[in-house]
Amino acid sequence: MIEADYGAPLDVHRATVLPEWIDWNGHMNVGFYVVAFDKATDTLCNQFGVSWEYTREKIGMTFVIEAHVTYDREVKEGDPLRITTQLLDHDGKRVHYIHAMYHATEGYLAATNELMLMNIDYATRRSAPWPEWAMPRIEKMAEAHRHLPRPPQAGRLIGIKRK
Amino acid sequence: MSVILPYEMPALVTTAPLDVHRSTVLPEWVDWNGHMNLAFYVTAFDQASGAFMRNMGLGRRYVDGRHGMTFVLETHVTYDREMKGGAPMRFTTQLLDRDAKRVHLFHEMYHADEGYLAATNETIVMNIDFASRKSAPWPKQAAERLEAVWTAHQHLPRPAKAGRVMGLPKKSSDRATPVAQS
Repeated sequence: MIEADYGAPLDVHRATVLPEWIDWNGHMNVGFYVVAFDKATDTLCNQFGVSWEYTREKIGMTFVIEAHVTYDREVKEGDPLRITTQLLDHDGKRVHYIHAMYHATEGYLAATNELMLMNIDYATRRSAPWPEWAMPRIEKMAEAHRHLPRPPQAGRLIGIKRK
Repeated sequence: MSVILPYEMPALVTTAPLDVHRSTVLPEWVDWNGHMNLAFYVTAFDQASGAFMRNMGLGRRYVDGRHGMTFVLETHVTYDREMKGGAPMRFTTQLLDRDAKRVHLFHEMYHADEGYLAATNETIVMNIDFASRKSAPWPKQAAERLEAVWTAHQHLPRPAKAGRVMGLPKKSSDRATPVAQS
């Protein structure tokens, strides 16, 4: 298990927009923003010790049960991405958090992704409490993130705003 | 000024909800958990939005002819049941709202054989001018077709999963104290 990073927000995930993520509009396709964000979720889960090895060893899995994406600016093939992660809430088997994706060199916000992640028992594929090694790490990160301002994109309701 | 499209429009479908898009979970959409990865639900729903746009007359010819594009501004997904590789999908689409350059759509994804609801997707799609890549009013024919679809959809009941705000469920101790029964 890696030593967890308790920076607030978590700011370790980096990526690059791959050619196969580009659609006929010449920018990263909506689905691949979520692919990129899901890899940042792997980085988050790795801090808690519930990432790839957790599933490979048939101990457990983590499933996203709800997701909200705001698409703020386009990114193009080869663009470098920086993704930060802020915990918003958690309980015995869920974590609620939000990722922010930035263009890593130009600095602008490209998108946000708010997610609800649930721990899953490998055998039953049903929800289950976080394993004992993960819970203290989640608590410690939540404490480190507690004083961060709540991002305006968190808790959004979708609709057409009228003047 | 709205654009007038130079190509022929397809036959308009005004069924409410729109129930035309069908697809299959591709093998490359399956992740290490052995089910369709969350991102590819968004891809699959985006194709259902594409079907809605084709019905408005804004299909591939719209982009290839450099008339315009449509961009998703925001999207909200509920993941209700797992889908495995090869599973057949049926999508329904309800128009919840619209204005001069945006539509607010609600998709439902069903397992086409077993019938269960797999996921929902609420999304805002905006019309974009091809040259400036900035928002622009719907082309004339698309706006007319959108009004015909709106007439058919506006009285559908609002789906229970539309308009969700994400958060952990409140514990019973957080709820307002119930009125005491005597």
